[in-house]
Amino acid sequence: MSHGTTAAAPFDNLRLELRRGCLVIAVLAALRSEQYGYTLRRTLAERGLAIDESTLYPLLRRLETQGLLVSEWREEDKRQKRFYRLSPDGKLVLKQLRAEWQSLATSLDGIL
Amino acid sequence: MDLLDRYLQAVKFWLPRAHRQDIIAELREDLRSQIEDQEAELGRPLTDAEVEATLRHVGRPVLVANRYLPQRHLIGPVWFPIYAFVLKIVVACYLVPWILVWVGLMIFDPAYRAGHVGAGWLDALGEAWGGFWLAATIAIGVVTIVFAVLEQTQATSGFLENWDPRKLPAMRDPRRIPRLSSTLDLVANVVFCSWWIVAMRSSLVLDRPDVHLTLAPTWGLFFWGFLLLALVNIVAAGVNLLRPYWTRGRAAVRLVTDLASSTLFVALCRSHIIASLTVAGATSARTARIVDTINHVLFQGWPIVMVVGLIVLGVDIHRVVRAGDADPQPAHGVPNGELPNHASH
Repeated sequence: MSHGTTAAAPFDNLRLELRRGCLVIAVLAALRSEQYGYTLRRTLAERGLAIDESTLYPLLRRLETQGLLVSEWREEDKRQKRFYRLSPDGKLVLKQLRAEWQSLATSLDGIL
Repeated sequence: MDLLDRYLQAVKFWLPRAHRQDIIAELREDLRSQIEDQEAELGRPLTDAEVEATLRHVGRPVLVANRYLPQRHLIGPVWFPIYAFVLKIVVACYLVPWILVWVGLMIFDPAYRAGHVGAGWLDALGEAWGGFWLAATIAIGVVTIVFAVLEQTQATSGFLENWDPRKLPAMRDPRRIPRLSSTLDLVANVVFCSWWIVAMRSSLVLDRPDVHLTLAPTWGLFFWGFLLLALVNIVAAGVNLLRPYWTRGRAAVRLVTDLASSTLFVALCRSHIIASLTVAGATSARTARIVDTINHVLFQGWPIVMVVGLIVLGVDIHRVVRAGDADPQPAHGVPNGELPNHASH
């Protein structure tokens, strides 16, 4: 009857939780090459990880505060844009997160 | 772009002053890029409705701004369960009794009722409602402030981090009545019986040179009735002392004795039990008025006694049902009621 509908709400919440952790790795990985916010969103969306602007920009600021990203305002196409790239600390953390991700994926594959 | 500017202004309002310009400039750039991409795709400028749809998708300004702010809370997840528990206690032990006392006074105290219903029932209800909200606001407000202070000082207090698992309460076994509880029950009833027999056996309950208080002839019925109930309680407590797992039987006995006690109390209130009072230096007319007043007050109070009795009986019935749910399956060779402690684990 309404089983599908009632299961949808918990699924959506769990999916959001699952994606939240993955987004950090995806953003860090995508910023190995310098990008500004909008192109970063497009890059992620093209690779299947669409992310709202109101989620991405606060995340970028948090990662920058943590010293994992560096940013600078620069003019491009006669418009001021803020460009982000990985910091040296960010590169190190990305490497660790990638190893952790692969380990988790292997474990989960075994369990699933 | 008027709609976009208005939207960004609304977001800006909620942002911290230090980061406003930076955040808005970046958000503006993103939204303009989105709109331009859509326009390039359609080959024409976006209509107001289409811009509106884009902004609606981004979200309500206050929510968008909120994502840039650090997570803040008055009482965080660490203290919240304790806060909620204390609020329940405040409601149960302060606010509910507040309402019950008010209802009781309105029903049974003619003077209070006359003083508050003078301007009509609606005004009296309004006044009580105002008083209740004031009491509730103060009580809940004080508890909230205390926990907010605890939340702020938590980082330095270490109260929640420094704890010892060995100091946790022992496992409670709902099927077992603690021996300490049975002992206290036993001692209390023995003391009561001793006092009852010595002090209340005669209907001349107060026999001093200057004061004599005599009860009505029906007192004998109440004396023996309450004494019998106390003796039953002594026997039940004694049995429980020896057989801590005799839970359901004990609950049933308590239900019967509480029912009998409530009935006796109500009958006592209605019986005009004070027969006479003589006080040295007081006229018989004055003492007669005192006797009438006491008997009248007791009579007026019987509905309260009955309500209290019904509440007690409700608790007793709940206890019987709960004891039934938790009734142990007797272990092989062990009579029900004598289960050893480890049987519950």
